[in-house]
Amino acid sequence: MPRRYGKYGGAYVPETLVPALEELERGFRSLRRDLAFRSELRTLQETWAGRPTPLYHASRLSGEVGGAEIWLKREDLVHGGAHKLNNALGQGLLARRLGKKRIIAETGAGQHGVATAMIGALLGFETVVYMGKVDMERQRPNVERMRLLGTEVREVTQGTQTLKDAINEALRDWISNVETTHYLLGSAVGPHPFPTIVCEFQSVIGREIIAESRRRTGDVPDLAIACVGGGSNAIGTFHPLLPFRTRLVGVEAGGVEGSVGAASLTRGTPGVLHGMMTYLLQDAEGQILPTESIAPGLDYAGVGPEHAALKDSGRVEYTVATDREALSAFHRLARTEGILPALEPCHAIAEAMKRARGMRKDERIVVTLSGRGDKDLEVVAALAHPR
Amino acid sequence: MPTLGETLAGRRRSGKGSLLAYLMGGTLPRERYLEAVDRLTAIGVTGLEVGFPFSDPIAEGPVIQRAATEALSRGFHWADLLDLVPETSRRLPTAVMTYLNVFEHRGIGPSLTEIGAQGVSAVIVPDLPVEEADVFRNERGRTGVDTVLLASPGAPPTRVKQIARRTEGFLYLVSRYGTTGVTNEKALDPSRPTPELSGILKEVRTTRPRLPVLVGFGVSRPEDVRRYRTLGADGVVVGSAFQALLGPGGSLKPLEDLAGDLVHALEVSDG
Repeated sequence: MPRRYGKYGGAYVPETLVPALEELERGFRSLRRDLAFRSELRTLQETWAGRPTPLYHASRLSGEVGGAEIWLKREDLVHGGAHKLNNALGQGLLARRLGKKRIIAETGAGQHGVATAMIGALLGFETVVYMGKVDMERQRPNVERMRLLGTEVREVTQGTQTLKDAINEALRDWISNVETTHYLLGSAVGPHPFPTIVCEFQSVIGREIIAESRRRTGDVPDLAIACVGGGSNAIGTFHPLLPFRTRLVGVEAGGVEGSVGAASLTRGTPGVLHGMMTYLLQDAEGQILPTESIAPGLDYAGVGPEHAALKDSGRVEYTVATDREALSAFHRLARTEGILPALEPCHAIAEAMKRARGMRKDERIVVTLSGRGDKDLEVVAALAHPR
Repeated sequence: MPTLGETLAGRRRSGKGSLLAYLMGGTLPRERYLEAVDRLTAIGVTGLEVGFPFSDPIAEGPVIQRAATEALSRGFHWADLLDLVPETSRRLPTAVMTYLNVFEHRGIGPSLTEIGAQGVSAVIVPDLPVEEADVFRNERGRTGVDTVLLASPGAPPTRVKQIARRTEGFLYLVSRYGTTGVTNEKALDPSRPTPELSGILKEVRTTRPRLPVLVGFGVSRPEDVRRYRTLGADGVVVGSAFQALLGPGGSLKPLEDLAGDLVHALEVSDG
């Protein structure tokens, strides 16, 4: 299993974590070929998680925008309301195989925290989720959901109090409890082998897009678009499509106009954070910069190392959408299709609307709708109806 | 001034224990910081680790995290480090401890050259595992700066051997599963060294008999010093316990007292 994607990736971690990462890689290698594991994973995906998810032709939205057809990969319909469960389910089964009794996770938007809490309940783990104080305030419903599922949510008050600092705290917990605990990392980031593991469990998205797209239209899509924070739904979408002719576009959070946002690929430079070499938003001395985005799930100064390599190779194009564009996409989708999307994939929808206009009517765009918007209602309502 | 590695090796040869003190740069004004180093020198501390702050220090407990945040908010930059270390290294053999991205961003060669020229003789980079250490080690001939590697409980014997062969100056043995500092709720009881430590020490001694080994993480009391000396280590690294005693306006007396107790414990264990 390669430790790097080009010059990116690697495992830059304190020594204490090295044996655990090696154990994880061995466990994952043997499990991915294990027929009993694959069959249990497939059964739970179908009967508990609600897979496969639909590929939906958003014809009203497409008609209003004009140009290419816009299709939505409905990961918002996965149990729990986001694609995060794909990875949490796979890693949960892996943790059980490794004999761990306790799982920990970081969460930004709370979607990965909720997915981990669900798996913790399903498989009987003691579960602890780290979440930045700022995120706990802006994603309150998810905090409640985690608690109802029996998970302890620990507030992170260090640093920027968002996803980056939640990862720091989860890593510190793991360093202290590595013998009993699996760190169920939620995005395609962190030290090897996490980016590979997360990519594998999320690739179900891209595989289903290919199969369903061929069945319905006879071909793969012309363009696939996904939002990129750490990049797990995007890598799950892109990875299986890499050998095909489909153009691939990742959309980062641009924040408010004129800010750095959270666009590490578009506006960052290479460096080392959270155990990986990747693109980072950092200052002149390598200190990590605070990020900001209306979408907490994208609010991260780094990005998965495979995306860094895909950017350099040019196979995937990365761009940004601002807070304002994402919000406008939210309302457009809600009113034309009866779907309330999470603010994270609204960045991808905004990009799809821009691109569709310039494409032919017989071309097709697939957007990964990575989660549903219930968690964002407070934020969106406050902006839509300012007091 | 001999390098930190030479100093530690000399003390090991003559059976003397060593105490390496860590103080985060920028948490005290420059003159006050140097005054603290003067006091530590007078008491008989063996060497100094100057911490350089990083925004995301994942191996640190609360005390050093707070110190890093404070140093950054006071605007302690690389230039300030370069201004500080010539003075510290006149007093004590000096190492710099910070995270990999600080070096990566500046360039590993250039940053080691800069600190080496200012008298620093070693670097300690907690997120630099042995597999990635060659980019640092390859600079040693040019810069004279040792790359100190860490070993942790849980490392299999082959890995301990690999680390012992490749570390420079000394081996930094992490005392337990956990971050730096004494308070770590679910970590193993710091008063009981994990049984792995003596196994690791034995492995290091067979691989590289003359290499000094210092134990760090959660070391704060004279009884810790005695225990690790009895176990066969050449000394200890104390960071959070010292750092916690520093206040910008406060007295240096508590720092002096703790250092005195620890040095005394070392001398007693020297026999």
